Amino acid sequence: MNAFKELYQYRELLKTNVRKDIRGKYKASFLGVLWSFVNPLLQVLVYAIVFPYIMKVQTDNYLIFLICGIIPWTWFTYSISNGTTSITNNANLIKKVYFPRVILPISVVTSGLVNFLISCFIILIFVLLGGVGLSWHLVFLPFIALIQYIITLAFTLLLSAINVYIKDVEYIIAFLINMLFYATPILYSTEIFHGSWLVWIFKLNPLAHLISAYRDIFYVHQVPQIFNLLILLLVGLLILIICYEIFKKLEKRFAEEV
Amino acid sequence: MNNDVAIKVVNMTKSFKLYSDKANTLKERLVRGWKNKPEIRTVLKSIDLTISKGETVALIGVNGSGKSTLLKLMTKIIYPNKGTVKTNGKLTSLLELGAGFHPDFTGRENIYFNAAIFGLTKEEIDQRLNEIIEFSELGDFIDSPVRTYSSGMYMRLAFSVAINVDADILLIDEILAVGDQHFQDKCFQKLEELSNSNKTIVIVSHSLGAIEKLCKRAIWIKDGEIAMDGNSNKVIEAYLKECA
Repeated sequence: MNAFKELYQYRELLKTNVRKDIRGKYKASFLGVLWSFVNPLLQVLVYAIVFPYIMKVQTDNYLIFLICGIIPWTWFTYSISNGTTSITNNANLIKKVYFPRVILPISVVTSGLVNFLISCFIILIFVLLGGVGLSWHLVFLPFIALIQYIITLAFTLLLSAINVYIKDVEYIIAFLINMLFYATPILYSTEIFHGSWLVWIFKLNPLAHLISAYRDIFYVHQVPQIFNLLILLLVGLLILIICYEIFKKLEKRFAEEV
Repeated sequence: MNNDVAIKVVNMTKSFKLYSDKANTLKERLVRGWKNKPEIRTVLKSIDLTISKGETVALIGVNGSGKSTLLKLMTKIIYPNKGTVKTNGKLTSLLELGAGFHPDFTGRENIYFNAAIFGLTKEEIDQRLNEIIEFSELGDFIDSPVRTYSSGMYMRLAFSVAINVDADILLIDEILAVGDQHFQDKCFQKLEELSNSNKTIVIVSHSLGAIEKLCKRAIWIKDGEIAMDGNSNKVIEAYLKECA
């Protein structure tokens, strides 16, 4: 409970950090904040041009199918890769001032969330222009985003703390994220592996569940797998608590180790 | 903890691990294994210390005696290996000025960033904004990006934020030498004003003259232990005798 009270007291720091993340990152560039949306769009464009040719994708509206996967994925990778270095990159602050250290990873995941929510408008534009249309299933969006926030935050807390002690983590993570991208049904649908043992990868991969839920509400227009999502929520909360406790243990020597 | 006590340090020991060459990467850890035993240096040895509310205390001692480490322990930037450090009330430390300044943002925006690090909310910063800008004497420069500031202006802005946080306990590490003579005098006056208004101030400094004026009590730290604690005139006199 004390932890929440302290976080609440430092809410302004969280807000300014998020603002700095979103605005400060591209401050010197011509397009500014727009880059955070242009980047995933360009990525989508590359896949949308390349994959139908080399993989003979049969999916209808492949572009929209892709966007529903790439935009949540961007939030996840942004948070993990920037979150992992959030403590080490702020070594100066950590050594000089006291503030709740968890603020740093939390603000990375939160600014990712803000970007994601704005990017959802891009999905909506594509969905409308692509003729897929909208449906009432969008009401599930906050619930799915909440689960993704919890799971992402848990991993970010853990990785940011370990990275202080073992600097290799950030490089290992870059590789793992690359692997995970192909182990998550972003470019393809899980149905092409129907009946294969590979399905287990998707069953154990939380992102696979999340992305298929996003697709359910934006693209397929059906109620997502509520039971799966509830289990994901419970497991997410459990690992969040564990990762937070590990963070609390490790944070005591941050100022000496960064 | 008694309500009149601002800072209480009980039987506290702090030691650092010194690596001759720190194994920071996985490879180094794997190659050298765990043979690379760090040397352990004890910086502070079973310190017992009580500072009451409203006191202004100076920590003096030669370089490397552990003064700044003690301040860092009080702020909770680092934690003791043994014993406890307890503080009572809102605490601000001025260990380094301008923590969290972002060079591309204006002075005004940086006031918000910097004050937020000290745990202030938006409303609290709004209330203090004019006072901070006025104290810094930056005038129109407040709306220019901080990267265009001279180092003196930078320090003035940073000090103005830190001093206006309105904490109950203020920890200051060797920053009395801020800006030009005029601004230094102003800072000194502000500190005197704070020390008269029932704030607790712990200050590390080598400007013994200023300390003698500002603090009634001084604590002399020598090789990680309290060598002397008492009236600042007497402690400074004994310290100077030893140094000579």
